[in-house]
Amino acid sequence: MRPFAPDAEAVFAELTLRIAQTLTRLREVQGVTVGCSAKRAVWSCGKTTLYQYLPLAEAPSRAAGRPVLICFALVNRPYVLDLQPDRSLVRRLLEAGLSVYLIDWGDPDDADRCVDLEDYIERHLGGSVRHLLDNHGAEALDLLGVCQGGVLSLCYTALHGKQVANLVTLTTPVDFHTPDDLLSKWVRGLDTELLMQSGNVPGEVLNGLFLSLMPFRLTQHKYVRLLTGNSDQRALEDFVRMERWIFDSPPQAALALAQFVRWFYQENRLTRGTLRIGGRRVDLGEIRQPVLNLYALEDHIVPPDASAAMQRYLGSADYTGCGIDTGHIGMYVSRKAAHEIPARIISWLQERH
Amino acid sequence: METPFTHAAFKPDAAFTGAAERFFELLRSFGMPGAGAAGAGRDWSSLAGPLAGQFEQWLKTSQSAGPWFAAANAAASGPGAGVGAAQAGFFGPLPLGAGAAPQQDAQRTWDLVARLAQLQGQLASHWSEIAGTAARRFVARLGAMAGGAPSLDNALKLYELWVSCAEESYAATVRKDDFCRLQAELANTSAALLVEQRRHAETLVRAFGLPSRNEVDALYAQLKDLRRQLAELAEAARSRGAGAPRPTRPAGTGRRKRPRKARA
Repeated sequence: MRPFAPDAEAVFAELTLRIAQTLTRLREVQGVTVGCSAKRAVWSCGKTTLYQYLPLAEAPSRAAGRPVLICFALVNRPYVLDLQPDRSLVRRLLEAGLSVYLIDWGDPDDADRCVDLEDYIERHLGGSVRHLLDNHGAEALDLLGVCQGGVLSLCYTALHGKQVANLVTLTTPVDFHTPDDLLSKWVRGLDTELLMQSGNVPGEVLNGLFLSLMPFRLTQHKYVRLLTGNSDQRALEDFVRMERWIFDSPPQAALALAQFVRWFYQENRLTRGTLRIGGRRVDLGEIRQPVLNLYALEDHIVPPDASAAMQRYLGSADYTGCGIDTGHIGMYVSRKAAHEIPARIISWLQERH
Repeated sequence: METPFTHAAFKPDAAFTGAAERFFELLRSFGMPGAGAAGAGRDWSSLAGPLAGQFEQWLKTSQSAGPWFAAANAAASGPGAGVGAAQAGFFGPLPLGAGAAPQQDAQRTWDLVARLAQLQGQLASHWSEIAGTAARRFVARLGAMAGGAPSLDNALKLYELWVSCAEESYAATVRKDDFCRLQAELANTSAALLVEQRRHAETLVRAFGLPSRNEVDALYAQLKDLRRQLAELAEAARSRGAGAPRPTRPAGTGRRKRPRKARA
């Protein structure tokens, strides 16, 4: 016996029609654009570019305020933070009158094979910070690190605390050995020396790795859900924008990736206090400035425990941790997060300005 | 094998079509007439076999087709392909391969290809376990959900249940230590094969008097060391208040069409 009766042919006919209609609509919206706020490049180093988002005419002017520097992950493109007008953390920050800057790490090629984490933290992130401090005549800025960019931001803040007034981290892992961290379990046995020797890692490889954490939901189920008929044209456009972002990942510089896997995922150096960047020990206890840590409660890439652990290692007396009821990507683009996260960041920063 | 997820230019319509086809196929399995006589009781166990088979096939093609193993798949492309053919596929028309590589190197490459095939065989047994567990779990949970009036809504509910069972079974297996070790060994063997192939390429490059990857890397290391020394000098000058050169100009001092490059 089958759970579907043999007379289900009408359902198959309806399904066939629904598939054809959805496919047509998907093809119609494939040209959707991503990124909505005007920006200009103000500094660069290697493949990295520092962008300034242009202030909005209608926003309150707070030009004299501290700049906010967004440090995104190396493994994804940062435009997810400014995907479309109603789903843009950047735009919400601009509307609040903040001076917003963002680091785009670009596309490393074979010339960048030996770019390492020290380069990224000290020269690229550090260079961006120093550029902004010089230009704004400020002593410190607010740093907003996202995911892997949050890890880099923690390192930088621990090493150059005077340059960071407030630190905000989003979906940022600190303890890479929590029991539910599948990604960590998988990469624990990688030979990082071989990984480095085999050259830069294409973005598709990492995409494949992330998708294989939950392959049915992430490569099948989400498409079949489009057949439910509840997706209006706008929702379909949102879907395609997200798809474009998810599958648009930059290659990874071989040495930096190998170091990240070994130092963080395999040796958990951040929690053990054994991480050294540029010959200096990275001690999270040196982070004494206010820290706002936002993490996702349903995160399959950075489990909430991996991020919430941050509090135990910081030297800050002003730590705010907050779990948001969504998934990893939902933190950037879900409707709930699109409202809640910018609001939390803005009010938290405003209380400390 | 290429899937919509391994292609550089991702096509959501292709991914959607693939997922919809598999959904369709799954529903056909659910509703396949003749597999059980009407009134034979609520026994859907005969569904488990076909479901598991479909699922296992999908796991094999979608998981092992990831670019992580692309090099390995290219190298292990058929028993008659041989190392030379594998490398030709990887590097294009370059005269590489067993003929160009010293015998010892060719043997090493062969060993890696053989190891990779062995590991992929082990991986297949995990896919089989996941598929079987998922199918049994699904059949056990069908309960009242099955046998209702056929409608697209009901079909989607069945699909939701199937996906939950599949994810749960998958999660249970891929968290096991032996799976994690296997996954890592596959990645390491793929990387070793790639490194081996590049080593052959380096030999050829040297024969033509071209700079090799290792030489370029050594130059980069020197450049990096010089940069570090320069930064230390600049920092020392800055801390002495001796007016160290600023790496950047203040904003608004002139129009720039291109972003400035950092000096260090």
